[in-house]
Amino acid sequence: MDHEALTLEMRSLREQVTGITDTAVAACDGLLIAADTANSIDPEGLAALAAAGLGLARRTAQATARGTLRQTVTYGSHGCAAFYAVGDTALMVVLGDEGMDVDRLHQATQPALDRIGSILMAKQPEGV
Amino acid sequence: MSGIREGVRDSLGRVGYDLLAQALADCGRDGYTGGLRVSGSPGGGFRLRNGLVIGAESPGAPGPEALLLRSGRVSGEQWADAVRESGGARWPAEALIAGGLAGAAELRVVTVMALHDAAFAIVAGQVDGVERDDRAGPPDGVTVSVGEGSLRLLQDANRKLAAVAALPHPVHPDRERPRPGRPAERLTSLQTELLTHADGRRTARDLAFLSGRGVYTVTVEVARMLGEGLLECGEAPPPIPVRVPEATPVRHREPPPPPPPPEPIHTPVTLPRRVPGASGMSAGLPPEKPGGSWRGFFRLRNGTAR
Repeated sequence: MDHEALTLEMRSLREQVTGITDTAVAACDGLLIAADTANSIDPEGLAALAAAGLGLARRTAQATARGTLRQTVTYGSHGCAAFYAVGDTALMVVLGDEGMDVDRLHQATQPALDRIGSILMAKQPEGV
Repeated sequence: MSGIREGVRDSLGRVGYDLLAQALADCGRDGYTGGLRVSGSPGGGFRLRNGLVIGAESPGAPGPEALLLRSGRVSGEQWADAVRESGGARWPAEALIAGGLAGAAELRVVTVMALHDAAFAIVAGQVDGVERDDRAGPPDGVTVSVGEGSLRLLQDANRKLAAVAALPHPVHPDRERPRPGRPAERLTSLQTELLTHADGRRTARDLAFLSGRGVYTVTVEVARMLGEGLLECGEAPPPIPVRVPEATPVRHREPPPPPPPPEPIHTPVTLPRRVPGASGMSAGLPPEKPGGSWRGFFRLRNGTAR
């Protein structure tokens, strides 16, 4: 796995979309791979929460016939937390403040997810 | 105005400002009513009525809601209650006033400040394109009752930008990511707050959202603190630690240990039988009169009083 390429993707997403405060990439079972987070956030716990949240959302989408899960977004009074699946092996967390344009985030995230998926799978064809 | 504009453009390297200035001037001349969408970084949007700007929003500046909530003047629960009372309105001004959470004048000041701050953030950033959005419908977002002339609004934003650029350590709202510098004893509340949050990852714009203050105010303060050495800018951003999957292969979480087996419940083979007098309680009682119980039985049966 190309560490530099991964961190570059995470940083560039943050610079591309105004309002992103933190990003993290984890394996789909919640094991943290990389985190660009503030000291106030526990990245390991965040990765575990994201894995659980995405799993629950995927089951909900199936149970309610909503099709393929795209992302989950948790809105709070101080911003939002978005969880994206990276293929079926990993996930990405993006935290943003009140100013972040969530539509713009989704738009910018899709190509980044493809690239991050390729980076993660590069050295591990059997899965992360 | 053009002199200031050109100077600011040179020092801060703005791109596409002319597009915005021209579009706003056209709107003012046409007496345009509707939205004006500004794409770029941070970009944003203006809302105009009869050529006057009545609202502005940008991801680069905290809106009135963020200013009220982040500064602690209104709590998240109180805001949610006010929105519910207002039937889901985005800006529940009347409910906030009725609930005694904010005064009408205070809300007016906050909305005007947020409008100017959003204009500053848009003007300070990069403008990729400007397009009118005059779809019919109610105005989206917070608006002020008295509109602002677009030229005056731009002049105000440019004046602020020129003021920041003229400081010894000019700062762009979206560029520098300062960290604490030398320790100091006498600090204002804003300086203390900025020192708490400045971690080398956050820009002046991020710090403005965190502290619930205008992005212009925070940008100026960050520039001053950089000048005084209270803040400093590192050469490179802090590295992002990456876990090496080869060294620590991903595995599923260990299952929890099985619960201990329940203790076997002793089931007696035969039920215990009560033995009269086994407790010894009746040993000290006087002997019951013979036949007493039979008399009571007949009294009950015939319903006679004693």
